[in-house]
Amino acid sequence: MRFRVRHVTRFGYDEAAYESHNEVRLRPRESPGQRTIGFRLEVIPRAAVIDYRDSFGNFVHALSVHEPHRELVVVADSLIERAAPRPLDAPRHPFGEFLAGDALRSQLEYDFLHPSRYVPFSEPLKRLFWMARPRMNEQVADYVCRIVGWIRGQFAYEPGTTNVRSDLNHILHAGGGVCQDFAHLSIGILRLAGVPARYVSGYLAPTLEPGNRRPLGEQASHAWLEAMIPDAGWIGFDPTHGGRAGDHHLRVAVGRDYADVPPITGIYRSVGATQTMRVSLDISEPEDSASSPLDPGALQQ
Amino acid sequence: MLRRVANHLYWAARYLERAEWRARLLDVNYHLLVESPPGAGGGWVAMLTITGDREEFNARYETGDEASVLGFYTFDEKNLSSIRSCVGLARENCRALRHRISSELWLEINTLYLDAQRWTPGDFAAMGVYGFFSELRERFYRIAGVIQTTISRDVGYDFLAVGRSLECAENITRLLDVKYHVLLPKLEDVGSPLDLSQWAALLRSASALEAYRRAYGNLIRADKVVEILLFDGSFPRAARFCIDRLGAALARVEAGGMHANGFDRVPAAHALGVRLRAGAAPTVIEAGLHEYLLGVQDDCARIGDQVSAEYLKFE
Amino acid sequence: MELSTTASQAGRQAPVFAAYRPPAGMYDEMFSAAGGPHRWCAPVAANLLEMGSAEFASLRAQAERMLLRMGVTFNVYGQTEGAERIFPFDPIPRIIDAETWQTLEAGLIQRVRALNAFVADIYGEAHILKDGLIPHDLILESSQYRRGAVGIAPPGGTFITVAGIDLVRGADGRFYVLEDNARTPSGVSYVIENRLVTTRLMPAALRASRVRSVEGYPADLLASLVELAPGGISRPTVALLTPGPFNSAFFEHVFLSQQMGVELVEGRDLVCVDHKLWMKTVYGLRQVHVLYRRIDDDYLDAVVFRPDSMLGVAGLTAAIRAGSVTIANGIGTGVADDKAVFAYTPEMIRYYLGEQPILPIVETHLLREPEVRATVLRDLDRYVIKPTGASGGYGVVIGPRASDAELAQTRKQIEAAPANYIAQPVVSLSVHPTLVDDGAGGVVLAPRHVDLRPFVLMGARPRVLAGGLTRVALREGSLVVNSSQGGGSKDTWVLDAPC
Repeated sequence: MRFRVRHVTRFGYDEAAYESHNEVRLRPRESPGQRTIGFRLEVIPRAAVIDYRDSFGNFVHALSVHEPHRELVVVADSLIERAAPRPLDAPRHPFGEFLAGDALRSQLEYDFLHPSRYVPFSEPLKRLFWMARPRMNEQVADYVCRIVGWIRGQFAYEPGTTNVRSDLNHILHAGGGVCQDFAHLSIGILRLAGVPARYVSGYLAPTLEPGNRRPLGEQASHAWLEAMIPDAGWIGFDPTHGGRAGDHHLRVAVGRDYADVPPITGIYRSVGATQTMRVSLDISEPEDSASSPLDPGALQQ
Repeated sequence: MLRRVANHLYWAARYLERAEWRARLLDVNYHLLVESPPGAGGGWVAMLTITGDREEFNARYETGDEASVLGFYTFDEKNLSSIRSCVGLARENCRALRHRISSELWLEINTLYLDAQRWTPGDFAAMGVYGFFSELRERFYRIAGVIQTTISRDVGYDFLAVGRSLECAENITRLLDVKYHVLLPKLEDVGSPLDLSQWAALLRSASALEAYRRAYGNLIRADKVVEILLFDGSFPRAARFCIDRLGAALARVEAGGMHANGFDRVPAAHALGVRLRAGAAPTVIEAGLHEYLLGVQDDCARIGDQVSAEYLKFE
Repeated sequence: MELSTTASQAGRQAPVFAAYRPPAGMYDEMFSAAGGPHRWCAPVAANLLEMGSAEFASLRAQAERMLLRMGVTFNVYGQTEGAERIFPFDPIPRIIDAETWQTLEAGLIQRVRALNAFVADIYGEAHILKDGLIPHDLILESSQYRRGAVGIAPPGGTFITVAGIDLVRGADGRFYVLEDNARTPSGVSYVIENRLVTTRLMPAALRASRVRSVEGYPADLLASLVELAPGGISRPTVALLTPGPFNSAFFEHVFLSQQMGVELVEGRDLVCVDHKLWMKTVYGLRQVHVLYRRIDDDYLDAVVFRPDSMLGVAGLTAAIRAGSVTIANGIGTGVADDKAVFAYTPEMIRYYLGEQPILPIVETHLLREPEVRATVLRDLDRYVIKPTGASGGYGVVIGPRASDAELAQTRKQIEAAPANYIAQPVVSLSVHPTLVDDGAGGVVLAPRHVDLRPFVLMGARPRVLAGGLTRVALREGSLVVNSSQGGGSKDTWVLDAPC
C-alpha cells in the first residue's frame, strides 16, 4: 500500500526571529515492510539544509536560517510504501528461556532495556509492572500483546491531560493520556520485564471508506512502540489501539523515548519574540502510483 | 579585528574621556565659585544644569551644596557618569581586552580603578579639592601618554581614537552650550570683569586658555571662544579638530589599517566634518548658538549609532 | 642570574643541598638510592650543591617576580575575580634523560593513537562494544559520552588533537600512566613560561645539560590544527574559543592565541550561517575553518547540547557534520579519559593497534563489578577513589589520608552509584628536591612528590612536546599536585643526548 504524507509545520513569531537552527526528524526511516519511495523537504524562508543519521539510524535534517523572519514553514512530503506486517510465526520462546539470554541482551540492547528521560523506572511504574508481570511459561510475543491490550484497558485516551514533555508518571497519576503516554508506559513495563522496547514516532494513516480517496476525520502524528521479539526482531505494537501495529502504521523515527525523536527541535534568536506552532497533516492514498511526492505543491492554505 | 574587541576599545576610550571631562568641569567650577562673590553665577546648581543631571541629583540629594555635588559627580556609583562610574566602566572594557592592550595601560587603568574604589569625601579635605583633581588630571594625562607610547597603531588604536574624539566633541559642545546660557544671561554683561573670569574658567576647563591667549591675546570675547572651541583646526579639544581626527581614524579603519583619505561607511561624520569646517563663530552666534550646538550633538549621536552599526554591534 | 656564579659568590653560606636526604621507599628524581645524584643530574646537582639558603631564596623570589610580571596567573574556581594567583614555581628543574624520554615518547604516541582510534570507533561503528571488550553501559552511561556526536568523522579520523597524559613514577623508577586528559588539557603555557624563567635564571646550566627546547609548541599546535582543516583549504583560518576571562585557564588561552597568531574568540564572536562557522569582525563575517576550543562539549552548541548555554555557538555541530569546520578536540573525546574506561586502555592498545602497551598504567579497579567492590570496600582506606567523569583532581579521595567521616561518606557514595567510581592503589609518587620554607625565614631543600603531564599533538603526524608539566605537591607528604588544589610546578628538562 502506498501513502503520501504531507506534514506541514508553521512557526510564527510576533517579533522577527533570526539565526534559527533546527534539527528535523521527518524523513521516514526504512525498515522491514516499509520503504520510502520519495521524500522532499521544503523550508520557507530559504534555509541551508544538511542531513545525517543520528545514533539510532534516524534521518536528521539540520536547517540553518540566518535572515530575520516572522514565519518558518517546514514541509515534509513523503511517499511511503507499506507492506502488511509479518505474522509472528517465528519459533516461540517462553519467558523462562528468554531470560536466560538476559546478560548478553542487556548489553547489546542497553538503550532499550534501561530507564530513559520519559521512561523512568519509578515506584508507581514498578508497582504497575508487578500487577502485569510475565508468567515464566508465557511466550514473549504473547506477553507484549497482553501488555499493550491491558494498558489500553486500564487507561483512558484523554487528550489534554498530558503534554509532550510528560513522563510516564503523568499518565500513571492522571489515569489517562495520549498515544505518547501509552507508548512510554508500555515501554516501561516491557523494559522492567526484560523485553527491549523502543519508541516509534510516525503516522497512523486513516482507513478510508471504499471509493473515497480523501481521509476522514482528524489526522495527527502517532506514537507506538517496538519490542524485540526473539528470532523475529523489532515488532511494532500500538498500545493506543491495544494490538499490533498494522499496515497503516508509518514509521518515521525510533528512539529510547520521545526525547530522542522530536519532529523539529531547535533554537532561534530574537528580541523577545514568542513562538507559535501549527501543524497540519495530510495523509492520502495516491490514486496514481506514479504521482511524485517531489512535486512541491501549494503551500498556501 | 573582532567586533567585540573594537567595541570594548571604543567604549573604554569614551568612558575615559568622559571621566576626564567630569574631572575638568568639577575642578574649574570649584575654583570659579571660590573666586566669585557669594551668590554670583549659578553656584553648584549650574553645574548640574550643564551636565543635565539636575533631576537625578534632586531625586537623591536634599541640598545642592558643595559636598553633595562633588560627591555626586565623583563617587556616586548610582550616577552612571560619575568619575568613579566612568573609570569603572572604562576598566571593565579594558579588562575584557587585557590580552590585547599593553600591560602598562592595564596597570594604569586598573590602579586608577582601585584608587577610585577607595576614594572618600575625606580625600577632598586631606588633599584639598585642587590637589585631588590636579592629581586626577595627571593620571588621565599619564593614561593618554601610555596609550600614545604603548599601543600599536593598528585598527584597534583607531577605534580608541574614534571613541575618544567623539566623546570629546560632544562634551565640548555641552560645555559651550550650557556655559553660554548660564554665563551670558544679558548682552550687556559682555566685557564685565565677572564675565571675563567666567569665560577664562570655561577656557581653562577645556585647557584652552593658553591656546586662546596665543591666538587672540588677553581680551576674552565670546565669539573668539566659540571659534577656538568649535572651529579651530589645530587645538586638540576643538570640536572640529576632534571630528577631523575621527574622520582620519575612520578612513584608516575602512582601508583596513592603511592610510586613506576618505571614508563612506559613517556618513554622519562626513556631514559634521563639512559643517564644522565651514563654520564661523559670528554667523553661528547670529543665527543662534544653542540651536547650532544641539545640531552638532545630534550629529555626534548619529555618528555613534552609525559607527556601532557598521563596526561594533555583534550581538 | 647564573647558577654557577652565584654559587661562587656566596661560598661562605652553608650549602643547603648537603642536608638533603632522599627518602626511603620512593624514587628520588635527582638522587639514586646510593646517595649520589643520578648520572644525568650530575651537572645540575653539582651547581646546586654549592648554593646557600639565601641564594635559593633569592632564586625563588626572582622567579616569582618574573612570572608575576609576565602575568602567568590562573583563576581559582569558586573564587571571585581578583583571586588571580601565580602558579607557584620551584626553580630546581626536573631532569629526564634522553633514553627514558625516548621510551616515554613512543609510549605516549602509541597511547594517543589508540585513544583516538577508540573515540573514532565509539562514534562510528562501536566495534569494541560489539566485540564485548568494553561493556556497552560503561560508555552509554558515561557522563562524557555524547550521543549527538555519533557519525561525525573528522579529517584524518583525528578526534584528540591535544592530549595531556598524566604520568607518575613508582618506587621502582618506572613511569606509569595515572590518567589521560583528552578533552581540553591545560598547563602547557606554564611549561613554556617556566622555561623562559629558567633560561634567564640558569642559562649556563641549561646549556651545559643540552636541554631540548619547548618553545616550538605553539607552532606545532598551529601546524597540527592547520593539518586538520577541512579538505581543500590551503590557508585555513584558525581561532581559539575561550569561555572568557573568568575561566581558570584564561591566561593560557591568551598565551596560545598570541603565540599562534590566531584570533581569541568567545561564543558571542561566532555565528553559524549556512552550516559554516564565521567570526564577527569589523569588516563583516570571516569564515573559521579550524576551531581550537577550550570549552566543554556541553556548552558548545545549544541546538544539540545544553540549550541554555551562552558560551558556544548554535549550529556548530551541524557545521562540523557539513565538513566546513574542524574542531579540536572533537566532540565527545571525554569518553577516552573517563576513569572507568582507563582500566581498559591496555586492552585498547592491543585491540586497535595490535601492539603491546609500552607504558604500564596504574592498576585500576572498577567498582561497578560487585566482587571488586567488595574487596575495595573492605579496605577502603588503602585506595585512592576517583569519580569516573571528573577531571582536575576534583572529588578524589585518598584513603590513607581521609578521615573516618570522609571514608564513611565515600562508602555511601560508592554504594549508591558504584559505576561512578574507580579505585586505584596509593602510588608512592616519586619525589624531587624542592625549595621549601624552613619555618625560620630561610629556605631548605626537601623531597616533594611530583608527577608529569606531557603533551601530545595529533595532526597529520604526532608531535610530542619534549618534557611537559612537572607538577609538585608543595605541602609535605601531599600527593595532590593539581594547580587548583595547591600544587606548584617545575621546569622539566629533557636531555638531548645520552649522557
